[in-house]
Amino acid sequence: MNCELVERDLDAYLDRELDAESSTAVREHVSNCAACGRQIAQREALGKLVRGAPYYAAPNRLRARALGQSTRSSSGRRVVTWAAAAVLVLSVGAGMSLLRTASTPQATIVDEVVSNHVRSLMVDHLFDVQSTDRHTVKPWFLGKLDFSPPVADLSAVGFPLLGGRVDYLRGQPVAALVYQRQKHTINVFVSPERDDVSASGVTRAIRGFNVRHWVDEGMSFWAVSDLNETELIQFCRALETS
Amino acid sequence: MPVRVFEETVLPHLDAAFNYARWLTRNDSEAEDVVQEACVRAMRFYSSLRDDDARAWLFAIVRNTWYSRVSRRANLAEAASLNDAQDEWPDHALDPEEQLLQQHTVAIVRAALEQLPVDFREVIVLREIEGLSYKEIAAVVRVPIGTVMSRLARARERLLTVLKLQAPMETLR
Repeated sequence: MNCELVERDLDAYLDRELDAESSTAVREHVSNCAACGRQIAQREALGKLVRGAPYYAAPNRLRARALGQSTRSSSGRRVVTWAAAAVLVLSVGAGMSLLRTASTPQATIVDEVVSNHVRSLMVDHLFDVQSTDRHTVKPWFLGKLDFSPPVADLSAVGFPLLGGRVDYLRGQPVAALVYQRQKHTINVFVSPERDDVSASGVTRAIRGFNVRHWVDEGMSFWAVSDLNETELIQFCRALETS
Repeated sequence: MPVRVFEETVLPHLDAAFNYARWLTRNDSEAEDVVQEACVRAMRFYSSLRDDDARAWLFAIVRNTWYSRVSRRANLAEAASLNDAQDEWPDHALDPEEQLLQQHTVAIVRAALEQLPVDFREVIVLREIEGLSYKEIAAVVRVPIGTVMSRLARARERLLTVLKLQAPMETLR
């Protein structure tokens, strides 16, 4: 192989796109030709430099928007899924009353919980009151809600409180409490339990988020996060027993 | 596209899509808009995803999205560089002052990449930063493999000149 041919194949050689035979031929030529060897070295150095160029990762805002948009365009389909799930529950022996409760209201509220969570991250509106002190956060809700949500300090078990805000679920104002696990944000929506629709203690995965619901002392809790299921359950237990 | 499929095929490549869009547009907010619109298109054109290579498929959508935005806005300067990128580049290295200002190597490399015409910039980014094969790049950019190869070669020649890598090799090793 001569220099001219090597020069033609230089990039393909370095990009490992040459067939084995040509590749060997180039390697042999280069080991005996200083000029071509220099060309190779230059390109290798260039490759190293370019691979060190900035890698632009997608901002969280964009990720949240992409998620939100995937949800909007297919929410109809999910209602069907939930309805199918409800039928399944029914068929394994739950009472007739489940059909009424589990078909749409449950599906839409889980959806709403996730949407609220996504929106809070998307518009950077996580808090109206930002404090790790529950004695600051709890009184903040006074006069804004007609109930007083329980606010816990779970920093000892690795879920520090970040703050709270007022949000809406099923058209009603609810307390949204924000906790954190490392880089994961957890939203907990708290309101007085107004109806008997409850699938307490079940974790659901929707759009990459885990959602868990439970009722405690007349209060309804919805916890939602991108945290894995195990840690979310751990969090919920900690909150329930606080 | 069902949500689950979107989450499994598109979202894992959101960083790559944004990186590619950012290099195409050279602008954060423009790149965000492009990728967001590309996601909408990905949902709609989901049936065009034939093989398993969702990443290259998404790159192609990002690229088309950007092109149509550019032409929609009649961004003449950029559009011109798309059409005849081959011959219109300014044949000069970063000037010495600029080099002094940008002591940081990364900044120099970034500037050198950004000043490449987009046809060359994108093959370099897809090859070196995203690690796509010639075949994948050809599919994204919709040109023959031979063209991918020649664009890469010319882009590298160009970068070598701009970055003055023909300087004594000891400094590079």
